[in-house]
Amino acid sequence: MAHDHHHHKESFITKYIFSQDHKMIGKQYLLTAIFMGAIGITLSALFRMKLGWPDTQFSILESILGSDAAPDGMLDSNWYLGLVTLHGTIMVFFVLTGGLSGTFSNLLIPLQVGARDMASGLLNMIAYWLFFISSVLMAASLFIETGPAMAGWTVYPPLSVLEEFQPGSGLGMTLWLLSMTVFIASSLLGGINYIVTILNLRTKGMSMTRLPLTIWAFFITAILGVLSFPVLLSAAVLLLMDRGFGTSFYMSDIVTSSGALDATGGSPILYEHLFWFLGHPEVYIILLPALGMTSEIISTCSRKPIFGYRAMIGSMLAIGFLSFIVWGHHMFLTGMNPFLGGVFTFTTLLIAIPSAVKAFNYITTIWKGNVMLTPAMLFCIGSVSTFISGGVTGIILADSALDISQHDTYFVVGHFHIVMGMTAILGMFAGIYHWFPKMYGKSMNKRMGMVHFWITIVTGYGVFLPMHFLGEGGLPRRYYENTNFPMFDHFLDLNIMISIFATIGVLAQVIFFFNFFYSIFRGPKASLNPWNANTLEWTTPIEHVHGNWIGEIPTVHRWPYDYSKPGKEQDFVPQTVPLDDNEEEH
Amino acid sequence: MEGKFIIIIAVALFFIALVQLMKIYDLAAKVRGAKSQEKMTRGENMLMANLMLVFMVVFFGFIIWLIAKYGANAGLYKAASEHGQELDDLLMINWYIILPVFFITNSLLFIFSWKYYHREERKALYYPHNNKLELIWTVLPAIALAIIIVFGIRTWNGIMYNKEEGQVIEVYAYQFGWLVRYAGADNELGEANYKLVSSTNPLGVITDQSIQDTYNEIDTKVSGIDSELKENRNSNGDLLMPKSKADKKLDELERLKRRKYRIEAAIDKREANKTAYASSDDDIVVQELHLVKGQPYTFIFRSKDVIHCPWLPHFRAQINSVPGMETSFKLTPTITTEEMRNMPEVQEHYKNINEIHNERKRRIGEEEEKVLFDYVLLCNKICGAGHSNMQIKVVVETQEEFENWIENNGDKKRLTFSGQEVNWSETKEQASL
Ligand code: HEM
Ligand SMILES: [Cu+2]
Ligand SMILES: [Cu+2]
Repeated sequence: MAHDHHHHKESFITKYIFSQDHKMIGKQYLLTAIFMGAIGITLSALFRMKLGWPDTQFSILESILGSDAAPDGMLDSNWYLGLVTLHGTIMVFFVLTGGLSGTFSNLLIPLQVGARDMASGLLNMIAYWLFFISSVLMAASLFIETGPAMAGWTVYPPLSVLEEFQPGSGLGMTLWLLSMTVFIASSLLGGINYIVTILNLRTKGMSMTRLPLTIWAFFITAILGVLSFPVLLSAAVLLLMDRGFGTSFYMSDIVTSSGALDATGGSPILYEHLFWFLGHPEVYIILLPALGMTSEIISTCSRKPIFGYRAMIGSMLAIGFLSFIVWGHHMFLTGMNPFLGGVFTFTTLLIAIPSAVKAFNYITTIWKGNVMLTPAMLFCIGSVSTFISGGVTGIILADSALDISQHDTYFVVGHFHIVMGMTAILGMFAGIYHWFPKMYGKSMNKRMGMVHFWITIVTGYGVFLPMHFLGEGGLPRRYYENTNFPMFDHFLDLNIMISIFATIGVLAQVIFFFNFFYSIFRGPKASLNPWNANTLEWTTPIEHVHGNWIGEIPTVHRWPYDYSKPGKEQDFVPQTVPLDDNEEEH
Repeated sequence: MEGKFIIIIAVALFFIALVQLMKIYDLAAKVRGAKSQEKMTRGENMLMANLMLVFMVVFFGFIIWLIAKYGANAGLYKAASEHGQELDDLLMINWYIILPVFFITNSLLFIFSWKYYHREERKALYYPHNNKLELIWTVLPAIALAIIIVFGIRTWNGIMYNKEEGQVIEVYAYQFGWLVRYAGADNELGEANYKLVSSTNPLGVITDQSIQDTYNEIDTKVSGIDSELKENRNSNGDLLMPKSKADKKLDELERLKRRKYRIEAAIDKREANKTAYASSDDDIVVQELHLVKGQPYTFIFRSKDVIHCPWLPHFRAQINSVPGMETSFKLTPTITTEEMRNMPEVQEHYKNINEIHNERKRRIGEEEEKVLFDYVLLCNKICGAGHSNMQIKVVVETQEEFENWIENNGDKKRLTFSGQEVNWSETKEQASL
């Protein structure tokens, strides 16, 4: 491998724009994700205004969204659904799939396995630009007159097929499908690259059982993505054909205002199966990278080996495998054979076992540690907490019988925001605070990080815990207003409280944006190994070089979790330090 | 347009402010002298650790407050159906297992993070694994989950494999409302087909009459298009309208003919129609769902356009209604509306709801009203703009009350469909054509 990459000068374009360097690509993903995230959470703050104050006219809504979407400052009901749909889509796919995996898989895989770059820099660059294009398409759909896709982030047909059913199913939905098609192409290219790099480009001594848990998590995530995204692609292609070419894969026996449609023989349930065959693994595509990073950070900051390294790998593998045979739990009430309901209940509840193992292992890692409560560590603790809190309510939703009275209520919204939304977002923040020095060679301000954490966790729980009670009261999700039913009137004040928490939570992210951008330009210079960590990325120079290491790639002699090992002077032993005579590995 | 302009300016101002803020911050940092942003001081670690404890207390307090205020069924009270009671019991079993786990694991997490915060003189315990411990926390959750799975699947099978048929009722969903069809004395719903749906036959019930009506409707449309096309031809037979428009007309023509052909081929049994489709004779279509206490029901659900989801929160019952397919569930109501209204906790609650409701009415300048408890059927699957107001009233009553209602509510209950109002007596007639 040529090490002399860093010798020749690069132009601005090849260095910052069409870069094939994994570190730069990782940063590009991060910036795009931050931008999309800002849109996504702003949308949630906007539609929460309608839910919190159903009768108030907010002229700001009209000025932001235009008078089609919010005439006289009252959000239009179609647009409400449009905002919810885009919020969900952006958060799930663009921030927590493309953004999270894209940023950290790219940054950390080569650095932590000891490779000069990704297996294919070119594919990697193409993957990023496809991601960028799909982000632009998705964001652009907010600006069309008839509004963005409005059928929910799951875009079930027939609602998503005919413009007659809702205006967003016209051009907005077309853009949604185009954007997602490009997005899927991007994530497949990315995923293949990650897998190949991890399998083939590990440095000498870096056996699979010496890989940091981050890498294991990215590895399993990439496999899940490569196996499940193609299924979403086929679902999307069939949907495109139903919309544009008169096929009826998903349509049958439908009457519109102009009479009965020709379509017969198709079924919307087919779409649901295809969608959720991706949709459930997707949840773990979002979660696993966050769980991997928190494993790494918790161990480093507790100055203690991760407890049960092999059990952590085993449970991630088990979760990854099981995630493919549980998708039916989203479909208990579609009228499918009750026997299948029982099967999916069983497989779904099995996932709770490896998840519980992970949670207990985290807690045991902190036990008797010497815990550095850095901002990254704070976010990790928050992430473990939300993983537990959201995980336990999942047990209720996994139960087909109980789902009869919980399905699609706000209980579900509370559940998935805590277990998936918050766990992954907090994990992502943890990753950003922890690896910022590696990305930009600067440190972020720790005080602002602490404030950011506390406001985020408090408002996060403040928003999503009460939602469980709305759901127990029977309130359906995707309701534009809750005022049509006197039976929900007693939730008026709770809805206001949620909206206030949501607004504060969204505004608090400004602290993060400020800290992030300020530190890129003006942050104090980082030291080589700021957290005294063992992994390889901290042996690379602070100033990024092509090829990552100036000389030879270091050889690895031990697992990455030798913290506070007895008989060692320092409380950490980098992976590059050879084992002493008759030292046990672990 | 102006609005967008203001936004652009606001965003620009925001960024300018941000840059200014950065500069100020920069100066302040210089004055203070650069501090390490990497190492946590002892004071900071201790502060964060203490906040962990404070947070834990507030967090648990918040949950307990929510539970105390809203309880397990936040305003849904006792389940009003036989299986609903079983579901509520199952839910409680789950909560009793889940909540202790939730509190214990979360408190371990926060307490450890507080207790073991970093101090220079301490050293962490090197404790990479312990197979026994790991086995314990694989097996314990497995046992708890086994209990949950067994109870859950047993309840599920009990509900779903219920063989008792009872009275049959169809609920038909459309954007954005519901129609209810009672099967009548024969307890058998007349067959229906979506190709016959029209403003006078909203459910597409098959009868000799509805078939003829549909033919007439199609024929009228066909001749309308035919004559429009004829008028727009010149003497050479060339079409005078734009091609795209003409193509659309021709397509529509084809479609109508196909539709008629399909009805002729698959639905119309000619002379035999009257006997073949006789079970619809006594069907009744209404817009309110009345049920008799203690009577088992089988509900059949169909949908006209998109997926909807009938949700009966008080009865703990819901299932999707999907175009192109019939779904069903069974339910036996156990509490009448009247009995529910008289329950002390319902009265208490509705006093509160009335206050909130009318305070809002006053605020938005609408007339105040007295709200009473009512059962309701609402839509729980996103279906478009009217999703959040897709409801009908559900009444549970005694057998006599029910019979009285179905006979005598003639002029009060109306069926509206596609904007057309049909009188109850007509509806009844029409449904039993
Ligand atoms: C400021 C933080 C957030 C707030 C206030 C918020 C609020 C909401 C609300 C009120 C809904 C509508 C629920 C409904 O009617 O069904 C919603 C939907 C959703 N949110 Fe969030 N959310 C936030 C962050 C997130 C995050 C971090 C994720 C990442 C997973 C996320 C993913 C979703 C998804 C997937 C939906 C469903 C969209 C749909 O129904 O089509 N949200 N959110
Ligand atoms: Cu799932
Ligand atoms: Cu609906």
